[in-house]
Amino acid sequence: MTWRRTLLIVALLTPGLGVILVMIGSVFYVAVMQSFGYYNLVGEDSFSLEHWQKVLDSKQFSRALSYSAYIAVVAAIGSVILAYPIAIWLRRPFRGSLVISALLKAPLFVPGLVASFLFLNVIAFHGIVNQLLMWIGATDAPIRLQNDRGAWGVVFLQLWKNLPFALLLLTGAVQSISDEVLDAARDLGAGSFDRFRKVIAPLTVQAMQASLIIIFIGAAGDFAFQVTAGPTNVQSMAQYMVFLKDSFGRWNQAAVVGVSLMGLALFGSLVLAVLARVVLRGGARW
Amino acid sequence: MTALRSIDVSKVFEDGFTALSGINLSVEPGEFVTLLGPSGCGKTTLLKIFAGFYAPTTGRIEQNGADVTNAPPEKRDTAMCFQSYALFPHLSVAENVEFGPKQNKVPKDDRVKRVNELLRQVDLEANRDKLPNKLSGGQQQRVALTRALAMRPSVVLFDEPLSNLDAKLREQVRREIRSLQREFGFTAIYVTHDQSEALAMSDRVVVMNGGKVEQIGDPEEVYQRPETAFVADFIGSANLLPFERVDDHTVDTPLGRFTVDDPPVADSRFLCWRPEAADYGVSEGENVVASDISERAYQGAYTDVHIAVPGAPDQRLHWPGSASSMSDRVTFRLPPDRIRFVRGELG
Ligand SMILES: Nc1ncnc2c1ncn2[C@@H]1O[C@H](COP(=O)(O)OP(=O)(O)OP(=O)(O)O)[C@@H](O)[C@H]1O
Ligand SMILES: [Mg+2]
Repeated sequence: MTWRRTLLIVALLTPGLGVILVMIGSVFYVAVMQSFGYYNLVGEDSFSLEHWQKVLDSKQFSRALSYSAYIAVVAAIGSVILAYPIAIWLRRPFRGSLVISALLKAPLFVPGLVASFLFLNVIAFHGIVNQLLMWIGATDAPIRLQNDRGAWGVVFLQLWKNLPFALLLLTGAVQSISDEVLDAARDLGAGSFDRFRKVIAPLTVQAMQASLIIIFIGAAGDFAFQVTAGPTNVQSMAQYMVFLKDSFGRWNQAAVVGVSLMGLALFGSLVLAVLARVVLRGGARW
Repeated sequence: MTALRSIDVSKVFEDGFTALSGINLSVEPGEFVTLLGPSGCGKTTLLKIFAGFYAPTTGRIEQNGADVTNAPPEKRDTAMCFQSYALFPHLSVAENVEFGPKQNKVPKDDRVKRVNELLRQVDLEANRDKLPNKLSGGQQQRVALTRALAMRPSVVLFDEPLSNLDAKLREQVRREIRSLQREFGFTAIYVTHDQSEALAMSDRVVVMNGGKVEQIGDPEEVYQRPETAFVADFIGSANLLPFERVDDHTVDTPLGRFTVDDPPVADSRFLCWRPEAADYGVSEGENVVASDISERAYQGAYTDVHIAVPGAPDQRLHWPGSASSMSDRVTFRLPPDRIRFVRGELG
């Protein structure tokens, strides 16, 4: 390849790839530098491990980290587990299947915060859930369902919001498996669970990995669901980051949390992706 | 005891389409039976009913005397060879072949031995670790066959297994299938719309049309003694003539008066003769026809000749020799024992 050609290719790639790399690179660079004491809004810049030390030592941080990891894992795995049967069910068109799949995808168009508010209304003291519970006699007085300590509300919202996305990816993948291949598996003695485990899942593993990773990253960085519907005794990473910045402008510590969140996203996605492969292909074939 | 039997089987799909009606078929153990018929006549549907993918709308399926009508495919002692091969794209050749035995919990040692032996037999050992998409069409077909045989099924169901192969390979795999069948002794039901394949491979041929069985017989029977106009026309190219009965052994046709050995019966509709049945160079005696030639097409081994006779369209002859050696007129004789009568309509 001549230098002219190389230059041309670089020039063609620059508008797209270049912008992406510069944006990601600069954000990442600033966050990392800030966590080590540079890019201060006020005061002198100097290298320091103090911010890392303070954050890592705080109990709040370790709780936020494990809480966000927990929500992200449950959201990713839960959405995929719920989406698979639906994707398989919708594999071949039937009367009404288009309407069903359109309805299932509706949450994609509802912004998270709006969904959160709707959800709060539904489970409020005088919301329909409590009315229903009282009407069927399950309880005498309304129960407090909001901001529950088990984070069930957040998990519900995460699944509600991410299931359609997993469904979108998995439906396409499942549809690309031919009927005859599934019939062959059946003919060779595979019942429905074995057909899923030995044929459908391995053949759709890439879509599954993509769903797991994207949902994990989104849920790990959740702010909207957590501040509206989340438990009040624990913060998510994003929430904690905002909290640090808002209380006494601890920008450097916020940056530490930010970098840790990116680390969590990267590490978590890797683990999920590898896990999906190993479980589904017995680790034998990549 | 019959290996596989369908009793009054019919199939009406959800959209109300009747794909099969009144199918009665008994297949003996070790027999090679082909289902032959035009596209859309219900061959695959019947095969899928035998395999258990479809439940018949009415009727029953018996295997070795036991009713299996409602048994799912995974519980039946049948293995299917699909037209598209349907190999598992994520598994190697050996893993594909091992799938069935593994599913049926055959112990590992047995399983490995079985797979190795089969792969050696079909000459695929060198490819055992390849993924299916790295194989040629013929090799994929052999993997599909091997995968079915690894189940040691008593019945193997083939759905047009050779239709994606070129003529030469088809011939070779066809012989391989037959020899494997003799060796393993499985019962085979083989779907095809290729009549020469059906005639060459089968112990018995089931000719189907429009969801019904037209005729069942050994290859010679369905070729030499077709019972319906459809069978005569679909297998080989028969000439069909309307006729009037004079007496038991004499009929009048647009080609003239013929003496016949087998008399027509009440529902006989056409007189039927094969293009290659005519004796050429005979110009005297009974059953002699002389006619103008309307068209000729050189075919190599013979010349396909059409003759023009009012009231008898599309009568063809196989003239043994080249087109240039012919004049514009042809004279031939139809031997009385080569003339049949068939019932049914012209398609
Ligand atoms: N699921 C279905 N629903 C409705 N009609 C069907 C269905 N499957 C098949 N048919 C119809 O039933 C008829 C028989 O189909 P079948 O596949 O058995 O034909 P075939 O003899 O195997 O033809 P080919 O040689 O083309 O494979 C066809 O007219 C087809 O359109
Ligand atoms: Mg078919």
